[in-house]
Amino acid sequence: MEPELPKYNRATLVDLLDRVLDKGVFLRADVVISVAGIPLIGLTLSVVLAGMETMLEYSLLSDWDQAIRASPPGQRHATPTGGRPTEPRPGKRVASAVPA
Amino acid sequence: MTADVAVKQDGLYVYCVARGKDHYPLGPIGLDGQRVYTVASGDICAVVHDRQAEAYQSEDPETVEGWVLTHQKVVAAATEAFGTVLPLAFNMIVLGDENGGGAENLMAWLEEKRDRFTRLLEKLAGKAEYGVQVFWDPEVITTALIQNDPELRRLRDEARTKPKGLAYMLQQKLAKAARAALETRANRCVENFYTRIRACVEDIRVDRLKKTDNGTQMLLNLSCLMDRSSGALGRVLDEIHKTEGVSVRFTGPWPPYNFVSPG
Repeated sequence: MEPELPKYNRATLVDLLDRVLDKGVFLRADVVISVAGIPLIGLTLSVVLAGMETMLEYSLLSDWDQAIRASPPGQRHATPTGGRPTEPRPGKRVASAVPA
Repeated sequence: MTADVAVKQDGLYVYCVARGKDHYPLGPIGLDGQRVYTVASGDICAVVHDRQAEAYQSEDPETVEGWVLTHQKVVAAATEAFGTVLPLAFNMIVLGDENGGGAENLMAWLEEKRDRFTRLLEKLAGKAEYGVQVFWDPEVITTALIQNDPELRRLRDEARTKPKGLAYMLQQKLAKAARAALETRANRCVENFYTRIRACVEDIRVDRLKKTDNGTQMLLNLSCLMDRSSGALGRVLDEIHKTEGVSVRFTGPWPPYNFVSPG
C-alpha cells in the first residue's frame, strides 16, 4: 500500500488539523503568544475536533477505547485474532473521517 | 486592542526549525502572502515571517482553514529546501520585549535549544511521519461473528421460526450477545493490528478516534515514524486491508508533528 500524499484540500484537512493545532515543537510561553486551541477557531472547526466525544455516544466500543487511551495496546497481553482473514467482499466501504 | 496603542511590529511567526543558514528566502508563500525567510543561530534556523504581536484569529472557518493549509505548505517548502524539519503548531508568534526584538528572542531560544534540536534533526533525517487509520464495518463483522458461532447462529435461526413476541425476545438476546462478541473481537483486532504495525516502524503515537461518515468504525488512529524509503509498513497494511470487513487509510509523508516534543 502506498501512502496517500497530504494534499492541501478538505479530504486531508482533519488529518492536518490533528497535527498542526497542538502538536509540534513547544515554544516557551514567555516569548510567545501561544494560541493553538479551540476558542480562537471558528465553531465549525470545533465541531470537527469534537468528533471523538460524538463517536463514543454511538460506539459499541467505548471500553476498549478508554483502555487504549490509558495504555498503548502493545503493552497489554496480546491475543491473536479469532478467525482467518478471507477474501475482501466486493464494494468494501473505505471510510474517511468527517470533514468540516 | 485600543487604537491609540501602537502595535509592535517586530514579532515573528514561526513555522518550523531546520538545519540551515540565516536570511534564506523562501518567497511570499506565508499566511496572507507574507515573505517567508529564516532566522538562524549558527546552523540551526527558524522559518518565519514578520508579524505584529497579534494572533491569527477569525470567525470564518474557511479563512482559518486557508491559514492552516498555508502553514503546512510552508513547512512542506522548508522540508524541500532543508530536509526533515521540526514543525511548530499553528499560530506560534515570537514577540519582542525589553530584552530585544522578536528576532533576538528567537535566536536566543534557538541557541538555548541548539543541542536538543541538533540531536532531533539528526534522529529524524531521512524519516517522516505517516498516518495509519484502521476501520471496520460492524455490520459485516457482526454477520460473520453470528454465522461462525454455533450459539449465536442458533439464536438467529430460532428467532426466524418463532411467533412475533418470542422472536423479538430472541432477537434482543441475540443483539446483546452479538454486541459482546463484537467488543471482544475489536479488542483482539486492535491488539493484533497494533502489534504488526508497531513491529515495522521506528516509533508510534496512538491518537484519538474519529467519527466516520459511512457507517464504519475507526479501530486505530496512529502516527508512525519511519524511514521514507521503507516499504515494510505498506506491506503490513496491505495484509490488514485484506481482512474481511476491515479497511485501512494510509497518509503521508507528514512533517514529524508527533515526534518532536520531549517525553
